Amino acid sequence: MICDDDNGILEMMEMIIEEFGFDVFTEANSVNVLKRLESEKPDLLLLDIWMPVLSGDQVLKTIKAEPKFSSLPVIMYSASAEGHIIAEKSGASDYIAKPFDMNDLEAKIIALL
Amino acid sequence: MNSNIKPNLTDQVLLEKVVEAANTGIVITDNLLPDNPIIYCNPAFERLSGYSREEIIGHNCRFLQNQDRKQESRKTVREAIARGESCMVEFRNYNKSGELFYNELYLSAVKDDKGCVTNFIGIQNDITDRRKAEQALQLYYNETDRKVVERTRMLKENEEYLSSIVETIRESLLVMDKDYHILSANSHFLNTFKVSISETKGKMLYELGNGQWDIPELRKMMLEILPTNNPVLDYEVEHEFPHIGKKLMLLNAHRIELEGQFKDRILLAIEDITERKAIEQRKDDFLSIASHELKTPLTTVLGYVQMMQRLMPETVSDKFRSVVDKTGVYVDRLNQLLAELLDVSRIQTGNLELHMESFDFDKMVIDTIDGLKAATPGYNIILKGKVEAVFNGDEMHLVQVLTNLISNAIKYSPESHEVEVYVSKVSNFVKVSVKDKGMGIKEGELKKIFERFYRVGEIQKRYPGMGIGLYICDQIVKNHGGTLWAESKIGEGSVFSFTLPIKDYTGEASNG
Repeated sequence: MICDDDNGILEMMEMIIEEFGFDVFTEANSVNVLKRLESEKPDLLLLDIWMPVLSGDQVLKTIKAEPKFSSLPVIMYSASAEGHIIAEKSGASDYIAKPFDMNDLEAKIIALL
Repeated sequence: MNSNIKPNLTDQVLLEKVVEAANTGIVITDNLLPDNPIIYCNPAFERLSGYSREEIIGHNCRFLQNQDRKQESRKTVREAIARGESCMVEFRNYNKSGELFYNELYLSAVKDDKGCVTNFIGIQNDITDRRKAEQALQLYYNETDRKVVERTRMLKENEEYLSSIVETIRESLLVMDKDYHILSANSHFLNTFKVSISETKGKMLYELGNGQWDIPELRKMMLEILPTNNPVLDYEVEHEFPHIGKKLMLLNAHRIELEGQFKDRILLAIEDITERKAIEQRKDDFLSIASHELKTPLTTVLGYVQMMQRLMPETVSDKFRSVVDKTGVYVDRLNQLLAELLDVSRIQTGNLELHMESFDFDKMVIDTIDGLKAATPGYNIILKGKVEAVFNGDEMHLVQVLTNLISNAIKYSPESHEVEVYVSKVSNFVKVSVKDKGMGIKEGELKKIFERFYRVGEIQKRYPGMGIGLYICDQIVKNHGGTLWAESKIGEGSVFSFTLPIKDYTGEASNG
């Protein structure tokens, strides 16, 4: 599952990850993440950090607080240099900087599944 | 009588001789004759007046005054003669050729046994030189007076001029004595800090406005001024004022001294840069947000380009493949530029974070050069020397520095095909030099090239760029506690070098 407030990114990433051979669904509103995790039961979450209302690290906090999902692999990403620090602090499984290198992204996903 | 005087001379004759020999003009008038005519004059009087004896005898003395009759002295003389008294006066007289001379006249009455005035003796002295000197002196006095008045007026004007500047200037100014008592404050100070002159003048700086100026940094700064005689320049102080809020101020302080008038005074100039800093901050925020926002669509574009490359069938034409690859290269380039812009905004806001980790410095250099060799096939990048040390620093950012320096060396030496990179360990520093045989940089430009958005004049037209690469390099090197510098000769090439202190894990520079 991918969560990003930018629809352009969501669409592009959906295509790429499908190309990697995975099933994908997307969520543009970070407030809905927990609900979607519940209904879709994904194996991995790709989570943008800079999102309005509820930022990526806040979303991750609620996920970690939920025993059902606390061990779900989460790859955070952002365009800012501080992104990997936030990811580390929030307890994300991995981090990737925007713009992505497709091969890097594929390797990181495979490593976590 | 003197013993030298010959005995055959009577006293009468002797006196006549004395009068004849005198250097002072002497005339005798007969008061018993009508109009008091001159009956005797000595040779000195002839010389004085320019007239001969024949021309003088029989005239009233007034003939010497020509037409210049309105003289105060005449009245004095008339009255003295009427009363038969002596007097001393000055006349403006005219000699035979009509030239003015100042005549000092001592008039002495001669009386007979009955007390009747028979004669007047006039002793005359040409005091023209004296009068001229006096007049010159008077003129000089007058001139001096005039000059003093003029100077005073100019001083006053100057003072008004200066004070109008001091009062109009958009900077707060305070003059204090050595104990920090306020001697004067300009309008800008009073307006900015909302105080009146009466609650400012004579007060001690730290007591002003309920102690709102009792700022530790300011105290520290003020203490340094008088003993050292060094001005304090551009000292930034942030302070929360009770009524006007938080102000960011730039303080400049000088010791002022006017010979013979005062010494040990302090001029404190306070520039309110709150607004300016806020504008700078907004600009940096804008830079940061803009480059960050631009990254989102760029990420999408780059994603699709990578998809195109991946999805491209084997059978596609070379031309099509090349178009897609080039698109990728330029999207990467755009990404690089945005990353630099972000770096600039981060440096500006002091947010350039270094992630210090130990790494093999030589390997970092080799890897960076290999990467660049692949990107610039025509160039020969020669590596010489090695550090042979584990270095603790931000590897990613140092790769950026080295990449930037080598890329610049290549970019600005289009005629040459060689760039040399020297790596060495000097004392407890790592030293890296990148040498090109390019166009070189003018001496005047050498310092400026490390400034933000600075581009060397002629370069601007021929080589695109934003002028931030070297600025970022310099900041990264500085953040590692190192130094980056350039040496260059026009037409011969440039050498960019940087040194970085080798630190141990505690962050202290090691001596090894």
